[in-house]
Amino acid sequence: MNRPVERHTGCDDVRADLAEVALGIVSGRRRSEVLEHVEGCARCARELDELTKLSDTLVSFAPRTEPPVGFELRLAQRLRDDAAVARAPWARRVAVLALAAVLIVVVGLGVGSLVTSPPPRAIVATSASLHVAVLKSGGHPVGELMVSAGRPAWMFMTFDDASWSGEVTCEVVFADGHVETTGRFYLSGGYGAWGAPLRAPARDVRDVRLTTLSGSVYASARLPV
Amino acid sequence: MIDDESVPDDALLSGIAVGDEEAGLVFVRRYQRRLYGLAFGIVGDVGDAEDVAQEAFIRIFRHAQVFDTRRGSVSTWVLTITRNLAIDAIRLRRSIPTDPTDPVFLNLMSNDRSTDGAALASHDVARARSALATLPPDQRRAVLLAALYGRTAEQIAQSESIPLGTAKSRIRLGMARLRTGVEIEEPQ
Repeated sequence: MNRPVERHTGCDDVRADLAEVALGIVSGRRRSEVLEHVEGCARCARELDELTKLSDTLVSFAPRTEPPVGFELRLAQRLRDDAAVARAPWARRVAVLALAAVLIVVVGLGVGSLVTSPPPRAIVATSASLHVAVLKSGGHPVGELMVSAGRPAWMFMTFDDASWSGEVTCEVVFADGHVETTGRFYLSGGYGAWGAPLRAPARDVRDVRLTTLSGSVYASARLPV
Repeated sequence: MIDDESVPDDALLSGIAVGDEEAGLVFVRRYQRRLYGLAFGIVGDVGDAEDVAQEAFIRIFRHAQVFDTRRGSVSTWVLTITRNLAIDAIRLRRSIPTDPTDPVFLNLMSNDRSTDGAALASHDVARARSALATLPPDQRRAVLLAALYGRTAEQIAQSESIPLGTAKSRIRLGMARLRTGVEIEEPQ
């Protein structure tokens, strides 16, 4: 009678396969054994984490190749088809439809020049503008804010040097003085990134501020007029 | 105007998530060569590579709003999606993967940095590139076959006509040397 072979998943045993696990080329059962060990072993966990980051970095070395002529047109069609059948939230479908529409317009106008490389760029960003401002807390830079006058307008912010963790509420102050709460998100360990659409023209945004649950302003940014 | 060279990837994804068509177009233009190039390198067929790259874009657009920058760079995310789709395509369609002796494979580290944006300008990538160049050819080949093409140790052993243990050693030693040569920066 065959009995399953019990493997001792000590550090030495596991470390022999950590690289393959990080590369994602190990079968499910062995992968589970390794991950089970890693869960309770800080040293192996750190090594696996570093190897995984390395593996991710290696993917970026893939060669670049110009796709076949008409790639964008066919992508636009697929995006449109995908949006038609998707059971996605409305906002997601709008996003997909919007890109499909603009790709069709761009390709329709510039199909002749698609034969050449690089692809046409003249039609990219004909109307949108992007404003960038520094987010400061107590006078010190803690992140960056971008406000785009795309359709729709949107903003995106990143924090990379925050000294505080917790939930913040984003408030946007417009030129006419009214304040709109656009959402909430978390800063964790000095880090955070968040974006949201704007329901008013981007050019009217004057200030963006992040308030804590107690109502105090943790950080803010002022957009150029 | 949106400067398609300077807007960060995660900002473009944020724009895509709220339906900004120009952000989407800039994103497609930024990544189509990388996604298609990776897909073609794996599936080795023009039509299949286009299918994979387009499916990758569709998934990226579907999930733009849930992308979490804490889990890695946008570049890594989109390339990993593409890589996994391409490997699935090979398994499903039984198409013949690119010949690893192909000049494209042997020169995997593209020198085209014009559209790399932040990814290839980063410290880690530059160091990884240097470290990779110092590996013995057999180890470099095994590591890249696994990292880019998802080849298992068994598949590498078979294609290279070497024992399984040798293939596993090449992967393990190659990754260990790379790890030593690359100082992976921890999030602050």
